[in-house]
Amino acid sequence: MAAGAIGLENMWRELVRLCNEQFESRPFTRLLNSKITKLRAQHYSIQMAYYVQNRRDCWGYVQGSAPLPVKQIVWRHEEDELVGRKAQGKVDHITLAIKEGEVFGLSAEAFEKTARLDGGEVCFSAWIHLAQKSWLEAIAASAILEMRNSGELVEGGSLSRRIAAIFERDLGIPMKKQVNNAEHVVMDVEHAHLLMQVAKRYATTPSAQEAILCGARESLMIDRVYRGHLADMLESLD
Amino acid sequence: MDLVKNLCGQLDQMVNNQFDSVEFKALLDLPLTLERGRFYVVQNALYTSNRRDCWGYVQGAAPLDVKRVIWEHESDELINDPRAGMDHYNLTVKQGEVIGLKREDFDNAQVPAMVHACFHAWHHIAMRSHWLTAYTASHMLERRNNGKIVKGGGMSYRVGKKFENELGINLKRMISLDVHVVADMEHSENISEMFEKYAKTPEDCERVLEGARESMAIDRAYRGALGFYMERIN
Repeated sequence: MAAGAIGLENMWRELVRLCNEQFESRPFTRLLNSKITKLRAQHYSIQMAYYVQNRRDCWGYVQGSAPLPVKQIVWRHEEDELVGRKAQGKVDHITLAIKEGEVFGLSAEAFEKTARLDGGEVCFSAWIHLAQKSWLEAIAASAILEMRNSGELVEGGSLSRRIAAIFERDLGIPMKKQVNNAEHVVMDVEHAHLLMQVAKRYATTPSAQEAILCGARESLMIDRVYRGHLADMLESLD
Repeated sequence: MDLVKNLCGQLDQMVNNQFDSVEFKALLDLPLTLERGRFYVVQNALYTSNRRDCWGYVQGAAPLDVKRVIWEHESDELINDPRAGMDHYNLTVKQGEVIGLKREDFDNAQVPAMVHACFHAWHHIAMRSHWLTAYTASHMLERRNNGKIVKGGGMSYRVGKKFENELGINLKRMISLDVHVVADMEHSENISEMFEKYAKTPEDCERVLEGARESMAIDRAYRGALGFYMERIN
């Protein structure tokens, strides 16, 4: 049991290290060094709505394969994402993405009429494939993306915060008006702890911890490819 | 609209036909003893867990508005059914107390081989089919439990009545079966509304019917398996 606990701490440190390393990768550097125009912000915003939808697909599969107590945790996680916290007047995250689009001059129809990036589509399929693997790999694959978006774990700020800062710098839109980015800056700090909560109970053996690391690594690899495609898209929009 | 009406008519016929099948008759005609009743209740908890797996997979593949309907559906099942004040797994465990079962009996329960195969078959449809097929496959098991559609009562009602008539345990004390008599009416009606939006073409209808046929076949195999194992319990 003690050995499991030590392994768990090492596993967590490695996961945090991987999330931080993500920002030093070429695709992330390219994306985060992009200059943002209104047109680029519009397309980025639309593609991110598709990304959010893909997250809902993957979390559904994770919920399907996980043990009952973990299903309950995932279900609560999906409340924020899928339906919103109605009691607190918070809308779901797809609606939030569309609402944020208004700030960039986008209509709801623009989200419906703009196709997914080819490269994005491939990445989404890859993430779904990961979500259908063993449940520990699957949950790690989805949860690591929220860890990578936690300002508490990533030095220099989460992806949502960094993107929001670029939009503010280049377009003069303050973060509080970027409602989707602003929400994720806060929410993913909370959501980032989901994986450790689950791991403490279910990843007490080296093989279980390795399954988590494996799912996380594969997901971060897809994430890098996806961000590279987004950077390509932004470059092409002049 | 006629397309959906006709489709729902076919689904209704299929869930009624289940009760005329040799497998359902073998299970429902089998005399119930306390030990057989315990076996059934424990197995029913495992069945409920399998439903949670499948609905999760269906949620993963479905369009966004359908995901939301399923998420709401899973609130009763997974988190808290206001009718019972608890989730449906704990409800089944609590029901077990009436017939002398403890939580350990549920936690340590083994899935018999034929039941195991059925659970895998349901998983397969939920994960590998078109979402409409997968959705219908899960929905049909609640439709088959809807007493407004099934003449003579849904499965939970009939099994509950067996406990009442053969073991002298009032249906109201079999709290999980009793809740499902009502809950699955609501669930199957809410879920059914989605057909009006998504079953627009004969191809869509065929996807729905494929899910219904496959799931009902597995359901017959599953009920037959339960009857087979229960018959061997004295």
